[in-house]
Amino acid sequence: MNTKMQAAFRPSDNLRRILIVEDEIVNQRILARYLEGTYTVIVASDGAQAMEAIHTQCDTISLILLDLNLPDIHGLEILRRLNADPVYAGLPVIVMTADSDAELECLTLGAIDFIPKPYPRQEIVLARVRRIVELSEDRDLLRWTERDQLTGLYNKDFFYRYAAKLDDYHKELKTDALVMDINHFHTINDRFGKSTGDRVLQRIAQQALDLVRSSGGIVCRSEADTFFIYCPHRADYNQILEKMSVSINEDTEPENRVHLRMGVYPDADKGLEIERRFNRARMAADTVRGSFTNAIGVYDHSMYEAELFAEQLIGDFPSALREKQFSVFYQPKFNVRPDTPVLCSAEALARWDHPRMGMVNPGVFIPLFEENGLIQSLDYYVWSQAAAQVRTMKEQGIGLPVSINVSRIDLQDPLLIEKLRGIVEENGLDFGDLILEVTESAYTEDSRQIVERIRKLRDLGFCIEMDDFGSGYSSLNMLSAMPIDVLKLDMQFIRSAFQDQKALHLLEAMIRLAESIEVPCIAEGVETREQAQALKQMGCDIIQGYYFSRPLPAPEYVRFVRERQAVSPGIENCIC
Amino acid sequence: MLTIDNLRQFGANVREGMERCMNDETFYLEMVKMTLDDKSFGRLSDALQSGDRQAAFEAAHALKGITANVALTPIYEPVAELTEILRPAAGSLEGREEDCQAYLERITQLRDELISRRDGN
Repeated sequence: MNTKMQAAFRPSDNLRRILIVEDEIVNQRILARYLEGTYTVIVASDGAQAMEAIHTQCDTISLILLDLNLPDIHGLEILRRLNADPVYAGLPVIVMTADSDAELECLTLGAIDFIPKPYPRQEIVLARVRRIVELSEDRDLLRWTERDQLTGLYNKDFFYRYAAKLDDYHKELKTDALVMDINHFHTINDRFGKSTGDRVLQRIAQQALDLVRSSGGIVCRSEADTFFIYCPHRADYNQILEKMSVSINEDTEPENRVHLRMGVYPDADKGLEIERRFNRARMAADTVRGSFTNAIGVYDHSMYEAELFAEQLIGDFPSALREKQFSVFYQPKFNVRPDTPVLCSAEALARWDHPRMGMVNPGVFIPLFEENGLIQSLDYYVWSQAAAQVRTMKEQGIGLPVSINVSRIDLQDPLLIEKLRGIVEENGLDFGDLILEVTESAYTEDSRQIVERIRKLRDLGFCIEMDDFGSGYSSLNMLSAMPIDVLKLDMQFIRSAFQDQKALHLLEAMIRLAESIEVPCIAEGVETREQAQALKQMGCDIIQGYYFSRPLPAPEYVRFVRERQAVSPGIENCIC
Repeated sequence: MLTIDNLRQFGANVREGMERCMNDETFYLEMVKMTLDDKSFGRLSDALQSGDRQAAFEAAHALKGITANVALTPIYEPVAELTEILRPAAGSLEGREEDCQAYLERITQLRDELISRRDGN
């Protein structure tokens, strides 16, 4: 990229546009002559042309010089229209008039200054124009400039606005949206302290600023350790990463090097809102999460397809719920402490039978709905269905509890307790008939309010299972103080444990951790006899997974229970 | 041919006009020529003839602005006075028709004078 283009990727004086609205050609010519060279001049010879120019180019017009006596629409009427429209009301207007009579009305209608006729000398007009442009831009900037206190970079809101402004000035220029963050930044804070972490962020910010100053573009810190860069399209992303990289202690030790990762949305589609462009860059960054071999993810067609698919699922969700396309399946859990494993409960799981796509993978739609909050409606639906099923089974003499998933967003709902209580009461259940599975990350969000809410639910009589244990960062100290009845190990954790010796030791340690806080431990995703036996030997209490049964539709689950009931009369002896 | 000297003899405030054209003589002369061809002269004459006061005022007002900008003082002065007579707030025109006509003739005569110099007659 050449230096000229780099310099041009900034709004500068000669890119500011002044709209002259004047029907007399002699006046147009003199005024244009005054301004050309300093500004880009657009001329409208009547009111209609002026309104057209304002409609189509308002984003890049810095100032309007308006004559009052126009052949079609009077200048005062133009002022009135601009003043009445919030989009245009901020456009500064200088009225050119020989009559002082109209001045008061012009000011009332939003004119900001006057230029008399005959025109004053060029320097005077230029000085007046410059002052008004600066004042008006300062006013706009003041409204939006909020810099990030820690790094001095723009904050996200201002950055988005600035990026959109750059687009207005550079419609044809190809641009990239880049997202950068630090791999495991929290460990820097944990190991070296927050002030060291802050200094790392400040130094990265400075490197990023130097980079965009020399090669064009703008940068902001969007949150925590995440930086956004919007810049002219380039190919040397490795170089950017290299330039932004810093060392934790400002030394040259390679092990103290901060590992950055980057997501790139190259040649970003300018038809998309700027925020969505950065979402795409973030999606690309997520593809290299945790990888030390590949630090740069690039948004590509497959991600676009995934995005489209996600949009379709989100769009279809309301009708799916309405038309009961979701059904609840039950995956049995077995107590493996006795010699013969005993069925002790089941987890209620949502399944989506889409009319066109067939069964949609829950591994796709659950995280998606968790991200945008739709999960709350789905959870409520599943809870209600599961509670009704428990009631039916109780009426048939089967008293097995069912566990239901309570998402992080559900826990933020102040009405959660009332909703769950309502479901229990409507179905004539006891609180102990439902087990609540709460993901570990909900506990570690450091929200006292959430933990309190869980505690209240437990006090009511619900059994609380901490789900996905091992995926978060719970400490032993924290765990012992939490309202938990059961620990459920993260499925990924179990899968990798049987492939890797180190992970196996870790799994043993997790099970011992559960023992040490005296709660039973569940392993899910168990697929083979060997896995089940190994887990039992390690001290695991309950096992869930394909080894015992896949998730079953309600009627099959009832049959499954009845068959087990016949061979194991102690089936209701549940652990929780 | 119209020259700076011609304009000076005519009574134009050449120094002021030139200053407004950034002392670019060619540009200034071009602006003066364009002023002489401005449609507002015709519009003023037509409007006065048909008794359309508003249109006459607007044309005079426009001429006042242009002639001031190019500093054609001898034309500007009667145009400015006529503009004030025609201004809607200035009261009835009754009894002043002849004045208006006289102004128009004066303006036309001065404009013609410059046009004939411009066209070399």
